[in-house]
Amino acid sequence: MSATLIPETGAGTAASAMRRNFWRGVWRVMRRKPSRMAGVVILIGFVLMAVVGPMVLPEHLPSNPDALTRPPSWDHWFGTDPQGRDVLALVIKGSRYVLLTAAVTALITVVVGTAIGLYSGFKRGRWDTVLMRLTDMKLTIPGLPLLLVLATVWQFGSPWQMGLVLGLLGWGGVARAVRSQTLSLRERGFIEAARGLGLSTTHIIGRELLPSMAPYIAMNMLISVTGAVYSQVGLFFLGVLPYESDNWGVMLNLAVFQAGAMITPYALGYLLAPLLAILLLTLGIVLVVDAMDEIFNPRLREE
Amino acid sequence: MITGTGVVKTFKQRGKLLGAREVRALRGVDFTIPKGGAASFIGESGCGKTTLGRIIAGLETYDEGEIAIDGVSMSSLKPKQRQPHFRKIQMIHQDPYSALNPTRTVHQTLHAPLSLRARQTGRSRAWIDERAAEVLTLVGLDPGSVLSRYPHQLSGGMRQRVVIARALTVDPEMLVADEAVSMIDVSLRLGILALLKDLRERLGVSVLFITHDVATARYIGDDGELYVIYRGQVVERGPVDTIITDPVHPYTQSLLSAIPVLHGLERPGEEPVVPLESLDESQADHGCLFARRCPFRGERCAQERPLLQLTEGVPQEHACFYPQRRSVIARPMSEV
Amino acid sequence: MVDQAPGVRIDGLTVVYKTPAGELPAVRGVSLTLEPGSITGIVGESGSGKSTLALSLLNAVQPPGRIAAGSVEIDGLGDVVGLAGEQLRKARGKHIGYVFQAAQNSLNPLKTVGKQLLDLGRSHGVEDLRGLVREAQELLARMGLDGARVLDSHQHELSGGMRQRVGIMLALVLNAHVVVLDEPTTALDMITQANILKIVREVHAERGLTTLVITHDIGVVAEVADRLAVMYGGRLVEQGPTRKVLGAPRHPYTKGLIRAIPRLTGDIGEARALPGRPPTLATVPKEGCVFRERCELRMDVCDTVDPDAVTHGGRTVACHAVSVKEHA
Repeated sequence: MSATLIPETGAGTAASAMRRNFWRGVWRVMRRKPSRMAGVVILIGFVLMAVVGPMVLPEHLPSNPDALTRPPSWDHWFGTDPQGRDVLALVIKGSRYVLLTAAVTALITVVVGTAIGLYSGFKRGRWDTVLMRLTDMKLTIPGLPLLLVLATVWQFGSPWQMGLVLGLLGWGGVARAVRSQTLSLRERGFIEAARGLGLSTTHIIGRELLPSMAPYIAMNMLISVTGAVYSQVGLFFLGVLPYESDNWGVMLNLAVFQAGAMITPYALGYLLAPLLAILLLTLGIVLVVDAMDEIFNPRLREE
Repeated sequence: MITGTGVVKTFKQRGKLLGAREVRALRGVDFTIPKGGAASFIGESGCGKTTLGRIIAGLETYDEGEIAIDGVSMSSLKPKQRQPHFRKIQMIHQDPYSALNPTRTVHQTLHAPLSLRARQTGRSRAWIDERAAEVLTLVGLDPGSVLSRYPHQLSGGMRQRVVIARALTVDPEMLVADEAVSMIDVSLRLGILALLKDLRERLGVSVLFITHDVATARYIGDDGELYVIYRGQVVERGPVDTIITDPVHPYTQSLLSAIPVLHGLERPGEEPVVPLESLDESQADHGCLFARRCPFRGERCAQERPLLQLTEGVPQEHACFYPQRRSVIARPMSEV
Repeated sequence: MVDQAPGVRIDGLTVVYKTPAGELPAVRGVSLTLEPGSITGIVGESGSGKSTLALSLLNAVQPPGRIAAGSVEIDGLGDVVGLAGEQLRKARGKHIGYVFQAAQNSLNPLKTVGKQLLDLGRSHGVEDLRGLVREAQELLARMGLDGARVLDSHQHELSGGMRQRVGIMLALVLNAHVVVLDEPTTALDMITQANILKIVREVHAERGLTTLVITHDIGVVAEVADRLAVMYGGRLVEQGPTRKVLGAPRHPYTKGLIRAIPRLTGDIGEARALPGRPPTLATVPKEGCVFRERCELRMDVCDTVDPDAVTHGGRTVACHAVSVKEHA
């Protein structure tokens, strides 16, 4: 082992060296299994699709009246929809709404869930009781019916709106899980030692507890992404929301109820394309989740 | 100096539907640990020695009694005000594996308490690094090779040294070492014990050693006091060597008799005392707490509880109606 | 029953573990005989290979480890290394009982001890399950426990000392005559330890067993074992009758280990720490003596030649410096 850190170099450089080591470690972990690299490639692909796709494609996709509801061909890999638009382009356009919503949901779920779980588990006592009763109540609210009711009031035209609602509905599980992790971690010697040394609560939570829970939180975040994708696609598929949005769910709905994908093979591409996109995205996430434990555990990262 | 008088702690065990069971962990314990001195708490598991150590280190509250650190009574202070006092007492945990955060390097581990101190005393960043290297050197580690390591890259012995170094960052007055070497390889144990002994001599840090291994307690503080604790009560207290060679309480005697004899190197003690029954916390609370297991119990023992006191002809304090010196420990062959 | 005690002969045993750095030996060329009816103690620190050696007795070394060479002959059973599958499973329990480390984690927390006993009986095809329970209760009673109550208890309702006794019961209840105890008293306090060791000694004598005790604590071996074997870095460095080895250790590691134990009487300064630290699988020297880094008698030859285990008068030592002295 070579000592990369010399005490005299000061705190600033030491911290940046640590960060460099961390990313080098992440790279090492990812390279360990080809499946992980595949997952990363898939996820990067989707992100590029969501960010760049709608910029490249025209606002209104050209419709070809001569090719309505066509099966896959060389010109249209996944065929065309009943308006003669390219299905692949529709999937790409729809990805922005889907992924943005998923990202907002995941962020809110994790931030709110972790904050409440940490506070509850660390402070214990009265606050714990209050917060956990609140969480219980939240967990008992049935998500889908509530969303259906909300859909009658809001149109969810913006992915931000959708993400916000899904996020606020979804943090309960994370809060419970983080709380139980906190409860077990706070009994560990190093947390006790930090308190004995007089270190601040901010330090204990931010520097000692959070990093130990990082793999856990990261996993929850990725998994809530898939949850958010299913929920919103489901809502759009059910047709309770307007069809104006570019969303995979809208495509599925139209494929089944308008293009008749269940009866005619011509619309099969229209039905399969968004489904495949969802499957692929889920696969990418599952493949990457596998690496989280090793990324955030220095021992597993180094070896 | 740290003193305690009549410290009482009761744990309520919940879980049963009716009637929470109470476990009396400490039943009025007095102790004094002088500056730079040493004291050892010994007893079997569940006797309350660890609870007492945690109370002294400020990690646990107590129900009754008084603890004073350098003459300042802790009961009169609010929890927030107690903190700086309790910071002078640092705990060295039994398990060096869970005592260090696996996600933080040695550098980060030492940096946190040092930068807090630097902020409080207006010292520079350079001082932090200097001091980190200094405490590592004090515990016998090479700062250059250790600072950048994560705990998993260190052996058990090295981890325990890092734990001690971390405690030293706040210039403690006392270290509370709870079974601090029991999870460390045998050939490395003595190194840690010698380090604690050395810190006592060089820095004047007092050491409270909590263990069931009397010989290690003696190694660290043969000039200090030994407290033998049984079911939350101190049953014998006095200079280490006096209690080891001339114990008068039957419990101390059975504890010392249980120490393995290195046959071939030592010969067994002359009058070993073996307790007949195993410890059962639900045993009667009246009378002498040890009476049920005591092979020498008399009539008085079932009626009254003996208190820790000095009696004529016995140099150490004890809590027994019938104190009787017995030679129970093994002696080296060469001594005969 | 007493004449049933089988002997165990371990010969040239080598166990390797597959690591990214290739296959590394955790146990290397160990030969050890457990005389019928004797208690042998193996002392070693972490990484000495003592637990791996104990597992080899059951041919239970888990991948990435494997027994690379050598044999373990048990009377009435043959070479354990050659057994596999059903034969091996039957041999464990029936011939060889294994008591896991302080029995802390070897009991199923969700099942009562009694249920686990019945599981054990069924998996070994015991017909008379009532008889098995009766035998278990007798064993527990012999160890000072209320058999019926213990069989009805879950793991968390038992203290450390009680769990250890349950572990011993489960190892013996199928009438095994070779018993391996892995760290039987770690994490137990002195009084419980003394009680367990007393039980080990008594049960050993009453049932006519051949017992192997694995521990890091010389005191434990000194209390129970007839013979003492010291392991370091996967090698057996010294063995002999316990009293003789403790009274006059020959190998510098044994000497250092004994000197590192604080004592109850005498000069405190006599206790000395061994310098350096025990090797891990990755840091064990590939050639030469495994102990030379920490040895005060180190010579040039130690760097290149691994000392052979030389037996003389019932004692075996693997050290260049010691054999030189004896010949001079």
